Amino acid sequence: MNANPYWNPKIEGMARPELEALQLAKLRRALRHAEGHSAFHRRKLAAAGVSAESVRTLADLRRIPFTTREEWMACQAETPLFGDMLAHPRERAIRYHLTSGTSGKNPLRVLDSRRDWQWIAECWAVGFWGFGVRPSDTVFFAFSYGSFIGFWGAHYACEKIGALTLASGNMPTDMRVRQILEMGVTTVCATPTYALRLAQSAAEQGLDIKNSAVNKVIVSGEPAGSIPETKRLIEEAWGAKVADTAGMTELGTICMFECSAQPGGMHIIEDHFLEEVLNPETGEPVAYGERGERVVTSFGREMIPVLRYRTRDLVERVPASRCSCGRVYDIYAGGILGRVDDMLLIRGTNVYPRAIESIVRAHAEIDEFQIVVARLNDMDEITLRVELKPSAADAWSRLEKQLHFDLKEAHEMLRFNVERAPDGSLPRFELKARRVVDQRRKS
Amino acid sequence: MSSQRDMLGRPLTAMELELLEVHTRLQRLAARGDLPPCVAAGTQAALGLSWQMANDLGLDVTGPDA
Repeated sequence: MNANPYWNPKIEGMARPELEALQLAKLRRALRHAEGHSAFHRRKLAAAGVSAESVRTLADLRRIPFTTREEWMACQAETPLFGDMLAHPRERAIRYHLTSGTSGKNPLRVLDSRRDWQWIAECWAVGFWGFGVRPSDTVFFAFSYGSFIGFWGAHYACEKIGALTLASGNMPTDMRVRQILEMGVTTVCATPTYALRLAQSAAEQGLDIKNSAVNKVIVSGEPAGSIPETKRLIEEAWGAKVADTAGMTELGTICMFECSAQPGGMHIIEDHFLEEVLNPETGEPVAYGERGERVVTSFGREMIPVLRYRTRDLVERVPASRCSCGRVYDIYAGGILGRVDDMLLIRGTNVYPRAIESIVRAHAEIDEFQIVVARLNDMDEITLRVELKPSAADAWSRLEKQLHFDLKEAHEMLRFNVERAPDGSLPRFELKARRVVDQRRKS
Repeated sequence: MSSQRDMLGRPLTAMELELLEVHTRLQRLAARGDLPPCVAAGTQAALGLSWQMANDLGLDVTGPDA
């Protein structure tokens, strides 16, 4: 058994100046690749007067133009199916995947080469090894596969690590729980929402997962994996440690992971990505500890080079020294804190779905919830719809009052409606949860 | 990078030299026109892996597959 706590000791254990020198060399290589092979990037770099040779320091990164999702979508609309960002002909690809279209926009079509696929798995392997996944583990993927990238890369990372890897595909939830127990699974991978759903299913079947062999739950796909209240619920339900990971479908892999030292955030995989945190309005860098938008440059993507991509994710970066694990990688404290565009403005008050979730998940009696925003008589109304666990019906009267109070207090005394939804009436999610229903957008 | 140094300009270790040699030999093998499908496909898969290992270690491999 390899006892090294780092997947890649040469890089993860290096000093910051060395890492930055490596990033500069990799940035120049990524630029050479982009300007040499991608018409989209060649055009943009030429217009900005930037070439690989003109980039001398990491500060020169800011001369490279941003890439936005809108541009990416437009280039795919103009040159179907994949747009002129492609660096190689379609024949070089071995995989195809789609973004989830969470933001209501058209999904992006993505092609991966053989090398991309190796790299995608590699980034996941850094994170999984960092949280303690080893060849002796049995890893279960509660994921339906298909054209959504989801945990595909993590599956291949586990095979690469040498763990026994179980793909559950279209297996129903109750059967997944039984297989987890039957196979002595040690590590479960799911979205945070679905990890809770699996636990609920186990309870409904009278199965004890808390005392099972599962000792790690690795989540991805929703910011909830770093919301302490949600994380605690998952940990209590499974009797296991929970680690968050986050990436982007556009990149096909994770860019950050929580290590086994669990510093209250996720390490950025900085030898594979160059991450900036910028003021979303001005585009200026923000200091350590200040909230800003993640902008990501990939060093590993071959088919579709990604340069300074505006992710719209909100983060707060802190130094690597915040963690005791000794890795050189900086940390996003609290994980993904929200999206630049997911803020709801209700009667002049800013409301973030993540803040609501942290209040809701403080109550273990709540099974599922939904946030409905509507305009009634020219007035915005926000309603929290709550579904209780079957065993918690008696708690409703107390919970209703508490939720009213907590939501109001956390939102400048904004009044929330709180409703109990009938059992089983709210949607359940296996992939990314979509709990906000903004009916104003329809009118 | 010269072939004897990594992307930081540091001398390669014996392990890194061996890895680069494997990668170069795989590139040479992949360039042959007489490979049966089972060997051609396996060589491409192995090249993807050797490239990734080199990339992990900050070695700037170049060539037809890089």
